[in-house]
Amino acid sequence: MPHQCTTCGRTFPDGSKEMLSGCPDCGGNKFQFKPAGETIDADETTDAGETTDAGETTDAGETTDESAGSVTDTPDSESPRPDSQPPEAQTPNAQAQESKTPDAQKTDSEHIRDRTQEDIAQASARSDVVSPDELDQASRDVESDSPTGSDPDSSGDPEGPRPDIDDLRDELNEQFESIRIVSPGKYELNLMELYDRQEYIISLQEDGRYVIEMPDAWGISDE
Amino acid sequence: MGLLTNLKDSISRVTDGLFAADEPKRIGIYGPPNAGKTTLANRIARDWTGDAVGPESHIPHETRRARRKENVEIERNGRKVTIDIVDTPGVTTKVDYKEFLDHDMEKDDAIRRSREATEGVAEAMHWLREDVDGVIYVLDSTTDPFTQVNTMLIGIIESQDLPALILANKTDLPGSDVQQIANAFPQHETIPLSALEGENMDEVYTKIAEYFG
Ligand SMILES: Nc1nc2c(ncn2[C@@H]2O[C@H](COP(=O)(O)OP(=O)(O)OP(=O)(O)O)[C@@H](O)[C@H]2O)c(=O)[nH]1
Ligand SMILES: [Mg+2]
Repeated sequence: MPHQCTTCGRTFPDGSKEMLSGCPDCGGNKFQFKPAGETIDADETTDAGETTDAGETTDAGETTDESAGSVTDTPDSESPRPDSQPPEAQTPNAQAQESKTPDAQKTDSEHIRDRTQEDIAQASARSDVVSPDELDQASRDVESDSPTGSDPDSSGDPEGPRPDIDDLRDELNEQFESIRIVSPGKYELNLMELYDRQEYIISLQEDGRYVIEMPDAWGISDE
Repeated sequence: MGLLTNLKDSISRVTDGLFAADEPKRIGIYGPPNAGKTTLANRIARDWTGDAVGPESHIPHETRRARRKENVEIERNGRKVTIDIVDTPGVTTKVDYKEFLDHDMEKDDAIRRSREATEGVAEAMHWLREDVDGVIYVLDSTTDPFTQVNTMLIGIIESQDLPALILANKTDLPGSDVQQIANAFPQHETIPLSALEGENMDEVYTKIAEYFG
Protein backbone atom coordinates (compact mmCIF):
# COMPACT_ATOMS: atom_id res chain seq x y z
CA MET A 1 0.00 0.00 0.00
CA PRO A 2 1.31 3.43 -0.76
CA HIS A 3 2.50 5.19 2.34
CA GLN A 4 4.39 8.33 2.95
CA CYS A 5 6.70 9.15 5.81
CA THR A 6 5.17 12.09 7.61
CA THR A 7 8.58 13.39 8.58
CA CYS A 8 10.58 13.49 5.38
CA GLY A 9 7.95 12.75 2.79
CA ARG A 10 9.52 9.63 1.41
CA THR A 11 6.97 7.30 -0.13
CA PHE A 12 6.81 3.55 0.02
CA PRO A 13 5.27 1.24 -2.54
CA ASP A 14 2.53 -1.21 -2.00
CA GLY A 15 3.24 -3.61 0.82
CA SER A 16 6.70 -2.25 1.47
CA LYS A 17 8.35 -3.93 4.42
CA GLU A 18 10.94 -1.22 4.68
CA MET A 19 8.83 1.09 6.72
CA LEU A 20 8.29 -1.56 9.34
CA SER A 21 11.61 -0.69 10.84
CA GLY A 22 11.23 3.03 10.48
CA CYS A 23 11.88 5.26 7.52
CA PRO A 24 15.29 4.33 6.10
CA ASP A 25 15.94 7.96 5.27
CA CYS A 26 15.05 9.84 8.37
CA GLY A 27 14.21 7.19 10.92
CA GLY A 28 10.71 8.55 11.30
CA ASN A 29 8.10 6.10 12.37
CA LYS A 30 4.86 7.69 11.30
CA PHE A 31 3.44 7.01 7.90
CA GLN A 32 0.43 8.36 6.18
CA PHE A 33 -1.57 5.99 4.08
CA LYS A 34 -2.24 7.42 0.66
CA PRO A 35 -5.20 6.07 -1.22
CA ALA A 36 -4.25 5.02 -4.69
CA GLY A 37 -6.81 7.26 -6.33
CA GLU A 38 -4.85 10.35 -5.52
CA THR A 39 -1.34 9.04 -5.59
CA ILE A 40 1.91 9.16 -6.81
CA ASP A 41 2.07 7.18 -9.95
CA ALA A 42 4.14 4.40 -8.60
CA ASP A 43 7.66 5.49 -9.33
CA GLU A 44 8.41 4.73 -5.75
CA THR A 45 12.11 5.01 -5.92
CA THR A 46 12.08 8.63 -6.92
CA ASP A 47 12.35 11.05 -4.16
CA ALA A 48 9.02 11.50 -2.54
CA GLY A 49 9.39 15.20 -2.18
CA GLU A 50 8.77 16.06 -5.78
CA THR A 51 5.73 13.98 -6.36
CA THR A 52 3.98 14.59 -3.15
CA ASP A 53 4.73 18.20 -2.42
CA ALA A 54 2.57 18.91 -5.39
CA GLY A 55 -0.48 19.17 -3.28
CA GLU A 56 -2.15 15.96 -2.39
CA THR A 57 -0.46 15.64 0.96
CA THR A 58 -2.86 18.21 2.26
CA ASP A 59 -4.00 16.53 5.41
CA ALA A 60 -0.70 14.99 6.23
CA GLY A 61 1.06 18.23 5.57
CA GLU A 62 -1.10 20.22 7.83
CA THR A 63 -1.20 17.88 10.70
CA THR A 64 2.38 16.87 10.78
CA ASP A 65 3.91 20.28 10.39
CA GLU A 66 4.83 20.29 13.99
CA SER A 67 6.59 17.00 14.14
CA ALA A 68 8.28 17.65 10.84
CA GLY A 69 9.47 20.94 12.23
CA SER A 70 10.97 19.49 15.31
CA VAL A 71 12.58 16.64 13.49
CA THR A 72 14.47 18.94 11.14
CA ASP A 73 16.48 19.99 14.15
CA THR A 74 18.17 16.64 14.09
CA PRO A 75 21.84 17.26 13.32
CA ASP A 76 22.00 14.42 10.88
CA SER A 77 21.34 15.68 7.40
CA GLU A 78 20.16 12.56 5.74
CA SER A 79 16.73 13.92 5.15
CA PRO A 80 16.21 14.00 1.44
CA ARG A 81 15.90 17.08 -0.63
CA PRO A 82 14.06 16.89 -3.89
CA ASP A 83 16.87 18.60 -5.75
CA SER A 84 19.79 16.83 -4.19
CA GLN A 85 21.46 13.59 -5.06
CA PRO A 86 19.45 10.83 -3.47
CA PRO A 87 21.34 9.33 -0.55
CA GLU A 88 22.69 5.87 -0.99
CA ALA A 89 19.99 4.17 0.98
CA GLN A 90 17.45 5.36 -1.48
CA THR A 91 18.73 3.74 -4.59
CA PRO A 92 16.66 0.79 -5.71
CA ASN A 93 19.69 -1.34 -5.25
CA ALA A 94 20.15 -0.49 -1.64
CA GLN A 95 16.52 -1.12 -1.04
CA ALA A 96 16.72 -4.53 -2.55
CA GLN A 97 19.68 -5.47 -0.42
CA GLU A 98 18.24 -3.79 2.56
CA SER A 99 18.46 -6.53 5.08
CA LYS A 100 21.32 -8.50 3.69
CA THR A 101 24.51 -6.56 3.35
CA PRO A 102 26.77 -5.45 6.14
CA ASP A 103 26.45 -2.00 4.66
CA ALA A 104 22.78 -1.99 5.30
CA GLN A 105 23.45 -3.03 8.83
CA LYS A 106 25.71 -0.10 9.36
CA THR A 107 23.13 2.25 7.98
CA ASP A 108 20.51 0.76 10.16
CA SER A 109 22.46 1.11 13.33
CA GLU A 110 23.09 4.71 12.52
CA HIS A 111 19.41 5.16 12.29
CA ILE A 112 19.01 3.85 15.77
CA ARG A 113 21.10 6.64 17.03
CA ASP A 114 19.05 9.17 15.13
CA ARG A 115 15.89 7.65 16.33
CA THR A 116 16.59 8.17 19.97
CA GLN A 117 16.47 11.87 19.43
CA GLU A 118 13.63 11.77 17.04
CA ASP A 119 11.51 9.49 19.06
CA ILE A 120 11.11 12.15 21.65
CA ALA A 121 9.75 14.50 19.09
CA GLN A 122 7.68 11.75 17.61
CA ALA A 123 6.28 10.75 20.91
CA SER A 124 5.43 14.25 21.94
CA ALA A 125 3.93 15.00 18.59
CA ARG A 126 1.91 11.85 18.57
CA SER A 127 -1.23 13.32 19.94
CA ASP A 128 -0.99 16.14 17.46
CA VAL A 129 -1.05 14.02 14.39
CA VAL A 130 -4.70 14.34 13.81
CA SER A 131 -6.47 17.04 15.66
CA PRO A 132 -10.03 16.59 16.86
CA ASP A 133 -10.92 19.36 14.47
CA GLU A 134 -9.62 17.44 11.60
CA LEU A 135 -11.41 14.32 12.65
CA ASP A 136 -14.47 16.44 12.81
CA GLN A 137 -13.74 17.75 9.40
CA ALA A 138 -13.25 14.27 8.08
CA SER A 139 -16.59 13.09 9.31
CA ARG A 140 -18.34 16.16 8.00
CA ASP A 141 -16.76 15.60 4.65
CA VAL A 142 -18.19 12.16 4.53
CA GLU A 143 -21.66 13.27 5.39
CA SER A 144 -21.94 16.38 3.30
CA ASP A 145 -19.56 15.87 0.44
CA SER A 146 -20.99 13.46 -1.97
CA PRO A 147 -18.00 13.29 -4.21
CA THR A 148 -18.46 13.76 -7.90
CA GLY A 149 -15.99 11.54 -9.64
CA SER A 150 -12.33 12.00 -9.18
CA ASP A 151 -9.54 13.64 -10.98
CA PRO A 152 -6.28 12.28 -9.72
CA ASP A 153 -4.37 14.93 -11.60
CA SER A 154 -5.93 17.86 -9.94
CA SER A 155 -3.41 19.02 -7.43
CA GLY A 156 -2.60 22.06 -5.45
CA ASP A 157 -6.10 22.51 -4.13
CA PRO A 158 -6.42 21.03 -0.66
CA GLU A 159 -10.20 21.02 -0.88
CA GLY A 160 -10.22 19.67 -4.39
CA PRO A 161 -12.38 16.81 -5.57
CA ARG A 162 -11.82 13.56 -3.76
CA PRO A 163 -11.80 10.11 -5.24
CA ASP A 164 -14.96 8.19 -4.75
CA ILE A 165 -15.41 7.54 -1.09
CA ASP A 166 -16.78 4.05 -1.47
CA ASP A 167 -13.89 2.99 -3.61
CA LEU A 168 -11.51 4.34 -1.05
CA ARG A 169 -13.27 2.58 1.73
CA ASP A 170 -13.20 -0.69 -0.15
CA GLU A 171 -9.57 -0.23 -0.84
CA LEU A 172 -8.77 0.49 2.77
CA ASN A 173 -10.78 -2.49 3.88
CA GLU A 174 -8.94 -4.74 1.54
CA GLN A 175 -5.53 -3.51 2.53
CA PHE A 176 -6.17 -3.16 6.16
CA GLU A 177 -8.15 -6.19 6.99
CA SER A 178 -7.87 -5.67 10.72
CA ILE A 179 -10.43 -2.89 10.69
CA ARG A 180 -13.44 -2.79 8.44
CA ILE A 181 -15.18 0.51 7.97
CA VAL A 182 -18.77 -0.51 7.48
CA SER A 183 -20.02 3.04 7.16
CA PRO A 184 -19.04 6.31 8.77
CA GLY A 185 -18.87 5.71 12.51
CA LYS A 186 -19.36 1.97 12.15
CA TYR A 187 -16.41 -0.34 12.46
CA GLU A 188 -15.72 -4.02 12.67
CA LEU A 189 -12.48 -5.11 14.20
CA ASN A 190 -10.49 -8.24 13.69
CA LEU A 191 -8.76 -8.54 17.03
CA MET A 192 -6.41 -11.29 15.94
CA GLU A 193 -5.20 -9.21 13.01
CA LEU A 194 -4.78 -6.16 15.18
CA TYR A 195 -2.85 -8.18 17.66
CA ASP A 196 -0.63 -9.72 15.01
CA ARG A 197 0.30 -6.47 13.37
CA GLN A 198 3.53 -4.93 14.37
CA GLU A 199 2.41 -1.43 13.62
CA TYR A 200 -0.79 0.02 14.90
CA ILE A 201 -3.11 2.60 13.61
CA ILE A 202 -3.19 5.83 15.39
CA SER A 203 -5.77 7.59 13.36
CA LEU A 204 -8.48 6.64 11.01
CA GLN A 205 -10.01 9.11 8.67
CA GLU A 206 -13.16 8.53 6.77
CA ASP A 207 -11.72 9.58 3.46
CA GLY A 208 -9.71 6.39 3.37
CA ARG A 209 -6.58 7.73 4.92
CA TYR A 210 -5.06 6.66 8.12
CA VAL A 211 -1.87 7.43 9.89
CA ILE A 212 -0.05 4.50 11.36
CA GLU A 213 2.75 4.46 13.79
CA MET A 214 5.51 1.96 14.08
CA PRO A 215 6.41 0.61 17.47
CA ASP A 216 9.01 2.62 19.26
CA ALA A 217 10.58 2.75 22.64
CA TRP A 218 8.33 5.46 23.91
CA GLY A 219 5.32 4.50 25.82
CA ILE A 220 1.79 5.49 26.02
CA SER A 221 0.88 8.98 26.98
CA ASP A 222 0.79 9.11 30.71
CA GLU A 223 -0.47 12.56 31.38
CA MET B 1 11.54 -7.78 9.30
CA GLY B 2 14.26 -5.20 9.07
CA LEU B 3 17.54 -5.33 10.80
CA LEU B 4 16.66 -2.27 12.72
CA THR B 5 13.86 -4.08 14.44
CA ASN B 6 16.09 -6.97 15.27
CA LEU B 7 18.80 -4.72 16.58
CA LYS B 8 16.32 -2.79 18.59
CA ASP B 9 14.92 -5.99 19.98
CA SER B 10 18.25 -7.28 21.06
CA ILE B 11 19.23 -3.96 22.52
CA SER B 12 16.08 -3.80 24.55
CA ARG B 13 16.59 -7.38 25.62
CA VAL B 14 20.00 -6.48 26.91
CA THR B 15 18.76 -3.44 28.76
CA ASP B 16 15.81 -5.42 30.05
CA GLY B 17 18.26 -7.84 31.53
CA LEU B 18 20.33 -5.12 33.09
CA PHE B 19 17.47 -3.31 34.70
CA ALA B 20 15.15 -6.17 35.34
CA ALA B 21 15.60 -6.00 39.06
CA ASP B 22 14.58 -2.36 39.31
CA GLU B 23 11.99 -2.08 36.60
CA PRO B 24 8.46 -2.30 37.86
CA LYS B 25 6.30 -4.78 36.00
CA ARG B 26 3.86 -3.20 33.64
CA ILE B 27 0.37 -4.50 34.28
CA GLY B 28 -2.31 -3.95 31.67
CA ILE B 29 -5.90 -3.64 32.82
CA TYR B 30 -7.91 -5.23 30.06
CA GLY B 31 -11.51 -6.16 29.42
CA PRO B 32 -14.61 -5.25 27.47
CA PRO B 33 -16.00 -1.71 27.50
CA ASN B 34 -17.75 -0.56 30.64
CA ALA B 35 -16.45 -3.40 32.82
CA GLY B 36 -14.99 -0.97 35.33
CA LYS B 37 -11.32 -0.95 34.28
CA THR B 38 -10.82 2.75 34.85
CA THR B 39 -12.75 2.64 38.11
CA LEU B 40 -10.39 -0.09 39.28
CA ALA B 41 -7.29 1.70 37.98
CA ASN B 42 -8.36 4.86 39.76
CA ARG B 43 -9.00 3.01 42.97
CA ILE B 44 -5.60 1.32 42.90
CA ALA B 45 -3.86 4.57 42.04
CA ARG B 46 -5.76 6.56 44.66
CA ASP B 47 -5.16 3.97 47.35
CA TRP B 48 -1.42 3.88 46.83
CA THR B 49 -0.41 7.15 45.18
CA GLY B 50 -3.27 9.54 45.83
CA ASP B 51 -3.77 10.31 42.11
CA ALA B 52 -6.36 9.18 39.63
CA VAL B 53 -5.73 7.64 36.24
CA GLY B 54 -8.60 8.82 34.09
CA PRO B 55 -12.29 9.58 33.78
CA GLU B 56 -14.91 6.88 34.43
CA SER B 57 -18.23 6.89 32.66
CA HIS B 58 -21.34 4.81 32.20
CA ILE B 59 -21.03 5.53 28.47
CA PRO B 60 -18.95 2.76 26.86
CA HIS B 61 -15.57 3.59 25.35
CA GLU B 62 -14.85 6.36 27.78
CA THR B 63 -11.20 5.36 27.72
CA ARG B 64 -9.90 5.68 24.18
CA ARG B 65 -6.18 5.99 24.78
CA ALA B 66 -4.16 3.77 27.05
CA ARG B 67 -3.14 5.56 30.20
CA ARG B 68 -0.34 4.67 32.50
CA LYS B 69 0.29 5.28 36.13
CA GLU B 70 3.87 4.50 37.00
CA ASN B 71 5.51 3.29 40.17
CA VAL B 72 2.51 2.29 42.14
CA GLU B 73 3.91 0.81 45.33
CA ILE B 74 1.66 -1.75 46.89
CA GLU B 75 2.51 -3.04 50.34
CA ARG B 76 1.40 -6.48 51.37
CA ASN B 77 2.48 -8.40 54.44
CA GLY B 78 5.50 -6.19 54.94
CA ARG B 79 6.60 -6.67 51.34
CA LYS B 80 6.60 -3.90 48.75
CA VAL B 81 5.60 -4.53 45.16
CA THR B 82 6.02 -1.81 42.57
CA ILE B 83 4.00 -1.92 39.36
CA ASP B 84 3.06 0.36 36.51
CA ILE B 85 -0.60 0.14 35.76
CA VAL B 86 -1.91 0.68 32.26
CA ASP B 87 -5.60 1.36 31.89
CA THR B 88 -6.57 0.37 28.35
CA PRO B 89 -9.57 1.10 26.16
CA GLY B 90 -12.31 -1.51 26.28
CA VAL B 91 -11.87 -4.18 23.63
CA THR B 92 -14.70 -5.06 21.30
CA THR B 93 -15.20 -6.43 17.79
CA LYS B 94 -17.84 -3.90 16.75
CA VAL B 95 -18.13 -0.19 17.27
CA ASP B 96 -21.24 1.61 16.14
CA TYR B 97 -21.80 5.31 16.74
CA LYS B 98 -25.53 4.62 17.10
CA GLU B 99 -24.99 3.13 20.54
CA PHE B 100 -23.76 6.51 21.71
CA LEU B 101 -26.81 8.34 20.42
CA ASP B 102 -28.79 6.76 23.27
CA HIS B 103 -26.51 8.63 25.62
CA ASP B 104 -27.67 11.99 24.45
CA MET B 105 -24.81 12.63 22.15
CA GLU B 106 -24.84 14.56 18.89
CA LYS B 107 -24.28 12.50 15.79
CA ASP B 108 -20.98 14.23 15.03
CA ASP B 109 -19.69 13.51 18.50
CA ALA B 110 -20.93 9.95 18.38
CA ILE B 111 -19.15 9.31 15.09
CA ARG B 112 -15.97 10.80 16.41
CA ARG B 113 -16.22 8.79 19.61
CA SER B 114 -16.65 5.58 17.64
CA ARG B 115 -13.63 6.34 15.51
CA GLU B 116 -11.54 7.06 18.58
CA ALA B 117 -12.87 3.95 20.23
CA THR B 118 -11.77 1.90 17.25
CA GLU B 119 -8.32 3.43 17.39
CA GLY B 120 -8.35 2.70 21.09
CA VAL B 121 -8.97 -0.99 20.53
CA ALA B 122 -6.11 -1.08 18.04
CA GLU B 123 -3.89 0.54 20.63
CA ALA B 124 -4.98 -1.83 23.37
CA MET B 125 -4.22 -4.82 21.17
CA HIS B 126 -0.88 -3.34 20.28
CA TRP B 127 0.12 -2.95 23.90
CA LEU B 128 -1.00 -6.43 24.68
CA ARG B 129 1.41 -7.70 22.09
CA GLU B 130 4.32 -5.43 22.82
CA ASP B 131 4.37 -4.09 26.19
CA VAL B 132 2.72 -5.64 29.19
CA ASP B 133 4.21 -8.05 31.68
CA GLY B 134 0.95 -9.10 33.23
CA VAL B 135 -2.77 -8.61 32.85
CA ILE B 136 -5.64 -7.79 35.15
CA TYR B 137 -8.73 -8.83 33.24
CA VAL B 138 -11.84 -7.03 34.42
CA LEU B 139 -15.33 -8.34 33.75
CA ASP B 140 -18.71 -6.98 34.69
CA SER B 141 -20.14 -9.88 36.68
CA THR B 142 -23.70 -8.90 35.76
CA THR B 143 -23.06 -9.73 32.11
CA ASP B 144 -22.44 -12.95 30.22
CA PRO B 145 -18.71 -13.76 30.21
CA PHE B 146 -18.95 -16.18 27.29
CA THR B 147 -18.14 -13.73 24.54
CA GLN B 148 -15.85 -13.85 21.57
CA VAL B 149 -13.83 -10.93 22.89
CA ASN B 150 -13.20 -12.52 26.26
CA THR B 151 -12.31 -15.87 24.77
CA MET B 152 -9.94 -14.32 22.29
CA LEU B 153 -8.21 -12.02 24.73
CA ILE B 154 -7.80 -14.65 27.41
CA GLY B 155 -6.50 -16.96 24.69
CA ILE B 156 -3.91 -14.42 23.62
CA ILE B 157 -2.89 -13.78 27.21
CA GLU B 158 -2.45 -17.49 27.79
CA SER B 159 -0.52 -17.98 24.58
CA GLN B 160 1.90 -15.31 25.76
CA ASP B 161 2.23 -16.90 29.16
CA LEU B 162 1.39 -13.66 30.84
CA PRO B 163 0.37 -13.88 34.47
CA ALA B 164 -3.30 -12.98 34.59
CA LEU B 165 -5.83 -12.23 37.28
CA ILE B 166 -9.51 -12.30 36.44
CA LEU B 167 -11.65 -9.89 38.37
CA ALA B 168 -15.40 -10.28 38.62
CA ASN B 169 -16.43 -6.67 39.14
CA LYS B 170 -19.65 -4.99 40.24
CA THR B 171 -20.49 -7.51 42.96
CA ASP B 172 -22.53 -4.78 44.61
CA LEU B 173 -25.17 -5.11 41.90
CA PRO B 174 -28.08 -7.52 42.35
CA GLY B 175 -27.49 -9.37 39.06
CA SER B 176 -23.87 -10.18 39.86
CA ASP B 177 -22.86 -13.76 39.13
CA VAL B 178 -19.27 -14.45 40.06
CA GLN B 179 -19.57 -18.19 39.65
CA GLN B 180 -20.44 -17.84 36.00
CA ILE B 181 -17.15 -16.09 35.40
CA ALA B 182 -15.26 -18.70 37.37
CA ASN B 183 -16.91 -21.35 35.21
CA ALA B 184 -16.04 -19.56 32.02
CA PHE B 185 -12.34 -19.43 32.84
CA PRO B 186 -11.69 -22.36 35.16
CA GLN B 187 -7.96 -22.29 34.43
CA HIS B 188 -7.67 -18.94 36.18
CA GLU B 189 -8.38 -17.62 39.59
CA THR B 190 -11.43 -15.36 39.71
CA ILE B 191 -11.60 -12.68 42.36
CA PRO B 192 -14.87 -10.91 43.11
CA LEU B 193 -14.86 -7.20 43.85
CA SER B 194 -16.70 -3.96 43.60
CA ALA B 195 -14.28 -1.39 42.29
CA LEU B 196 -16.88 1.27 42.81
CA GLU B 197 -17.59 0.47 46.44
CA GLY B 198 -14.11 -0.74 47.23
CA GLU B 199 -15.33 -4.15 48.32
CA ASN B 200 -12.77 -6.94 48.60
CA MET B 201 -9.88 -4.74 47.55
CA ASP B 202 -7.70 -6.35 50.19
CA GLU B 203 -7.83 -9.64 48.42
CA VAL B 204 -7.23 -7.91 45.08
CA TYR B 205 -4.05 -6.32 46.40
CA THR B 206 -2.86 -9.54 47.93
CA LYS B 207 -3.32 -11.30 44.60
CA ILE B 208 -1.65 -8.48 42.70
CA ALA B 209 1.37 -8.78 44.96
CA GLU B 210 1.37 -12.52 44.58
CA TYR B 211 1.00 -12.58 40.80
CA PHE B 212 3.01 -9.55 39.75
CA GLY B 213 5.49 -9.03 42.54
N1 LIG C 1 -22.29 -0.76 40.53
C1 LIG C 1 -21.01 -0.71 40.10
N2 LIG C 1 -20.69 0.07 39.07
C2 LIG C 1 -19.40 0.10 38.68
C3 LIG C 1 -18.38 -0.67 39.32
N3 LIG C 1 -17.20 -0.43 38.70
C4 LIG C 1 -17.47 0.44 37.70
N4 LIG C 1 -18.79 0.77 37.69
C5 LIG C 1 -19.47 1.69 36.78
O1 LIG C 1 -19.43 1.16 35.47
C6 LIG C 1 -19.31 2.22 34.52
C7 LIG C 1 -18.07 1.98 33.68
O2 LIG C 1 -16.93 2.11 34.47
P1 LIG C 1 -15.50 2.46 33.85
O3 LIG C 1 -14.51 2.31 34.94
O4 LIG C 1 -15.56 3.76 33.14
O5 LIG C 1 -15.42 1.27 32.80
P2 LIG C 1 -14.23 0.92 31.78
O6 LIG C 1 -14.07 -0.55 31.82
O7 LIG C 1 -13.05 1.76 32.07
O8 LIG C 1 -14.91 1.34 30.40
P3 LIG C 1 -14.22 1.81 29.01
O9 LIG C 1 -13.18 2.80 29.34
O10 LIG C 1 -15.36 2.39 28.28
O11 LIG C 1 -13.72 0.58 28.37
C8 LIG C 1 -19.24 3.50 35.33
O12 LIG C 1 -20.52 4.06 35.37
C9 LIG C 1 -18.80 3.04 36.71
O13 LIG C 1 -19.24 3.87 37.75
C10 LIG C 1 -18.78 -1.49 40.44
O14 LIG C 1 -17.98 -2.17 41.07
N5 LIG C 1 -20.11 -1.47 40.77
MG1 LIG D 1 -12.09 3.14 30.97
